[in-house]
Amino acid sequence: MSRFLNFSIFRYNPATPEIPPRMQDFQLDETPNMSLFIALNRLREEQDPSLMFDFVCRAAVCGSCAMLINGRPGLACKTLTQDLPDKITLMPLPVFKLVGDLSVDTGVWFRGLNENLEAWIHTDKPFDPQGLEDRMDNPTAHAIYDAERCIECGSCIAACATANMRADFIGAAGLNRVARFLIDPRDERQPYQVFEVVGTDEGVFGCIGLMACDDICPMEIPLQQQLALVRRKMALASLKGK
Amino acid sequence: MYLQETLAKSPRWEAWMELIELFTGLFLLVFLQFHMLAVATIILGPAAFNRDALMLDEYYLSYIGIPLVILAIIVHGLVALRKAPWRYKEMAIFIQHSRRLAHLDTWAWFVQIITGMAVLILAAIHIWNTLSTWPIEAAKSAFRIQSGSFSNLFLLLLIAEIHAMVGLYRILVKWSWIHRQKFTKWLVYATIGFVALGFIALVVFYFLDVKGLT
Ligand code: HEM
Ligand code: SF4
Ligand code: FES
Repeated sequence: MSRFLNFSIFRYNPATPEIPPRMQDFQLDETPNMSLFIALNRLREEQDPSLMFDFVCRAAVCGSCAMLINGRPGLACKTLTQDLPDKITLMPLPVFKLVGDLSVDTGVWFRGLNENLEAWIHTDKPFDPQGLEDRMDNPTAHAIYDAERCIECGSCIAACATANMRADFIGAAGLNRVARFLIDPRDERQPYQVFEVVGTDEGVFGCIGLMACDDICPMEIPLQQQLALVRRKMALASLKGK
Repeated sequence: MYLQETLAKSPRWEAWMELIELFTGLFLLVFLQFHMLAVATIILGPAAFNRDALMLDEYYLSYIGIPLVILAIIVHGLVALRKAPWRYKEMAIFIQHSRRLAHLDTWAWFVQIITGMAVLILAAIHIWNTLSTWPIEAAKSAFRIQSGSFSNLFLLLLIAEIHAMVGLYRILVKWSWIHRQKFTKWLVYATIGFVALGFIALVVFYFLDVKGLT
């Protein structure tokens, strides 16, 4: 019943550039319900203490453990080895800066994105800390919540051919974030104001509709619909002007 | 701030390029399918085919339509190819990425670039042949198809239909609110339908008695 798993894992430490990037093989016996989180921790404890990878929540919440699992981006903590073949290839996510081995820095990328998009509510209304929250109808709240579920894991960016080829493309996570603020009635920015940043080839018109983001997002955010929403609003803004 | 980028920045044009791509693509799609239906009237017999060709001619549809289609192909080709991975590094990244990912929709874009360029060449030959024996008549078409054009035209039919229907798929994905899974099946059926119709028309032409017509 129990299988032997053959891992092929990408190794490179930027602190020791004299050792070139390479793939290293490991063997491990499979245990019931083993996730890649467990497998990688066992490899580090039992075989190679220098192996680098990221985990925080181990429950698909923090988004730090995304990596290429047999070529496809996914959360290692959510992936069970029983769903994978005997041979498992692990690589770090592309597009993001490599920290070492399987660990990449998604934080700087997403911070830059959020600053670029000014991903916070823009309003002239003075803030009243004592006041009640504004009411919002349920469908709008749900639509915002749907977009908010993004855990910034970076899988959609790594899965996107355009993001791989063009470093300035904001990708599905970015466009999903734009959609979130376009839907939110509290944000007073008009589509034409968003247009300056997003109605470009770095924004929504750089997207060629390959839909790997939509197929791969571990939170199953409806990215096809979110991207199309932004595209329609931006196309309209381009025709309307101000 | 970077001077050259700030001065050159015109998101409006980047949006309009996308809209031009959308509308030239849609226009060519409608033209292509209408053209397939018109050609398929040969199945009803040479008389029906000739009557339709004559009608398009009489109402000047051919004289407006053909230059418009040629223009649309040129504009569409230029605009649609602007995002192709032209630099060697981009191309290598795209191919390696697609192989790692093994994802059908990602490959489909590559297919569209290749089929687009193939359509450009094959359609140019096809338009040239048709115009050089103007007007369109069943006997002339049958003669051409029986003397070697069959395979070229079948290839054009197949490639153009794949390109156009993958294009329609991509338009629906990019612009509509309908989930992909809901329309993929129908697009595949429609593609098979149009290719089959075109193929039958070609076969009918192939076996048409040219001497009996002239
Ligand atoms: C029968 C003629 C043609 C038809 C019906 C047609 C139709 C389409 C459609 C509907 C699209 C999708 C447009 C969009 O995504 O907005 C498309 C995309 C494309 N077409 Fe064509 N096309 C034709 C000829 C050509 C030619 C001659 C070329 C190249 C020289 C070409 C190259 C492309 C490329 C590269 C794309 C992908 C663009 C992208 O995804 O960014 N097409 N085509
Ligand atoms: S949209 Fe999905 S795939 Fe992309 S970063 Fe957010 S959770 Fe990850
Ligand atoms: S460890 Fe937090 S998402 Fe996997």
